[in-house]
Amino acid sequence: MTTLTRQDLNFGQVVADILCEFLEVAIHLILYVREVYPSGIFQKRKKYNVPVQMSCHPELNQYIHDTLHCVKPLIEKNDAEKVVVVIMDKEHHPVERFVFEISQPPLLSIRHPRPTPIRIPSDTLLSHVEQLLRAVILKISVCDAVLENNPPGCTFTVLVHTREAATRNMEKVQVIKDFPWIVADEQEVHMQEPRLIPLKTMTSDIVKMQLYVEERAQKAS
Amino acid sequence: MDDLYLDNIDEFVNDQNKIVTYKWLSLTLGVHVNLAKQVLHHYLDRKRNESSALLHATYLVSGKFVENGTTSHMVSVVQEDHLTVSVHVYSVQKAVLKDSGPLYSVDYDAVKENLRNCSRYSAIRCADAVPMSSTAVQQAHETAQAPPPETAHTKSGINGHSSLASKPTSKQSKGVMGMFANKNVSKNQESSQERTLEQREDAPVVETSKTKSAPKTHSMSNFFGNQATKKPDKSIKEEAAQMSSSVDEKPSSPVPKAETPVKEELPKGAVVEKDSSKSKRLDHSDSEEKNTSQKKQRRRIKKPQSDSSDDEVIPDSPPQLQEPRGPSPSLVKESFAFSHSDERSDCKRRKRRRVLKSRTFLDDEGCIVTEKGYESESYSETEDDFKASKPSQKNPDPPKPSTGKKEEEEEEEKRRKMVVAASNKSTKQASITGFFQKK
Repeated sequence: MTTLTRQDLNFGQVVADILCEFLEVAIHLILYVREVYPSGIFQKRKKYNVPVQMSCHPELNQYIHDTLHCVKPLIEKNDAEKVVVVIMDKEHHPVERFVFEISQPPLLSIRHPRPTPIRIPSDTLLSHVEQLLRAVILKISVCDAVLENNPPGCTFTVLVHTREAATRNMEKVQVIKDFPWIVADEQEVHMQEPRLIPLKTMTSDIVKMQLYVEERAQKAS
Repeated sequence: MDDLYLDNIDEFVNDQNKIVTYKWLSLTLGVHVNLAKQVLHHYLDRKRNESSALLHATYLVSGKFVENGTTSHMVSVVQEDHLTVSVHVYSVQKAVLKDSGPLYSVDYDAVKENLRNCSRYSAIRCADAVPMSSTAVQQAHETAQAPPPETAHTKSGINGHSSLASKPTSKQSKGVMGMFANKNVSKNQESSQERTLEQREDAPVVETSKTKSAPKTHSMSNFFGNQATKKPDKSIKEEAAQMSSSVDEKPSSPVPKAETPVKEELPKGAVVEKDSSKSKRLDHSDSEEKNTSQKKQRRRIKKPQSDSSDDEVIPDSPPQLQEPRGPSPSLVKESFAFSHSDERSDCKRRKRRRVLKSRTFLDDEGCIVTEKGYESESYSETEDDFKASKPSQKNPDPPKPSTGKKEEEEEEEKRRKMVVAASNKSTKQASITGFFQKK
């Protein structure tokens, strides 16, 4: 296993880029699979050499794009602990939460007394990561099997679990104009009687990610 | 032995919640595809009989297809609900698949690993199919790229009809996708080319179910894929056209069926190649994909490299520094250090720098005077190139025009010797000479 350090911001940027791209694909796919929006607005596209579904609706795309644009600086600094896609029913009670737990390897390698030099992710490493991300996407495609159907009229939102300092920063500095981030409500964060369904774990040299779903036991309100 | 296979499938489907396609099963278990299909069929039967199964299956259907009076051979993968004739099981999974995308994803890694011999267990054989030489591949590549507009006009009514049929659907799809700027022209050309190429072959039509490629508009839309610059893709997978059990289509009726294959093919960017073998095509396509994905990854890699290199490189000092510059001594020393290292790699360069130096000289009274002052000195890579010009001894602070370092040292030594000689004559005190030797 290669030992990589994150002394240089560029490495963090590379990882953040990869993760944000992946999250964008994953969010679109979740919206498609869980039928949050009608399937007619989705289109087949290619990512990681496999077909994925992506929406055509410009406002939806812009919303997801802006959301992840704001999340990216957090991921760069390894401040984002979890990124959660919450699907809520008409009363804004969450019915499903797709939780992406993200962790990145520590800043300095513990094994060596001196910090090892920066190694930009190699081609083989990136193609390995691509393979792992492909597997996660495949798992999302078939998560229907383990989840119950959602009630009609659902909406979605994206939450980020991060540190308090980062929260204050986000409130202070608007990364995108007119796209403010606010602290989430308690009811959006916690679910009544959740059922935990693990979907996929992914471990690589540059990032570790775990995807699981918290599902409300009784979805029909 | 059958039971073993059935147990394996059971584990894959129920425990690991996988989609088990016949192709994946054959590669994983190392058996012929027909055996894999039979095993899947048995498994499905058994589970259905036990009535405990919450399983869903997809079927591969192929046969003659009549469209506008022309017959063609068609292959598609359908959900079992839409099945009229069963041929063989394509996959078994727990979830209801909304579209055919995951079917391709499942096989991707397995086929990639067995790229050289993915047809080892396959039932499709053709004696004439041999791998193309690389030159032939390149030629095919070029011819495919060169005349995209020609293909629209080449053949007979078949093409005419198909292009007519493709136009309204392309307009429809344009309406939906009209929100994205750059897709239209190249896609239409691609699609018309696909149709003509496809209709040339009546033999088993194998089409790609590759998705549409959106052009790369800017860096943030990277996830669209880097396809726009790509040539028409020559990769082959089995078609999964009819899987779009999307809401508004009724595959049972023939008329919408006529439209749906056209509609499906348009977004998919399917290309059919004439003469190459399946494995070669896969090989070529996968290597292309790998290249593009690698290129994309390399692009990603290159960016951080260029950024870091900007930080590391100290800008070169110009080859000839102008005279009295007046920078601070520390800055001068740094530039000297850099220029010193640089000169070793470069060819001879003359550099000038101002250095704080102390000079000793004898004044009128025979006293030794030490003066400190800035001097600009010319410095080059090899010491042979020193331009000598003797410094004036009585000038406290002149800028020495070009003085070699070595010669200055020599002169200093001379002075020291003179001093030593003078001091020896007078006294035998070692302390005075010691004062000078400390330098």
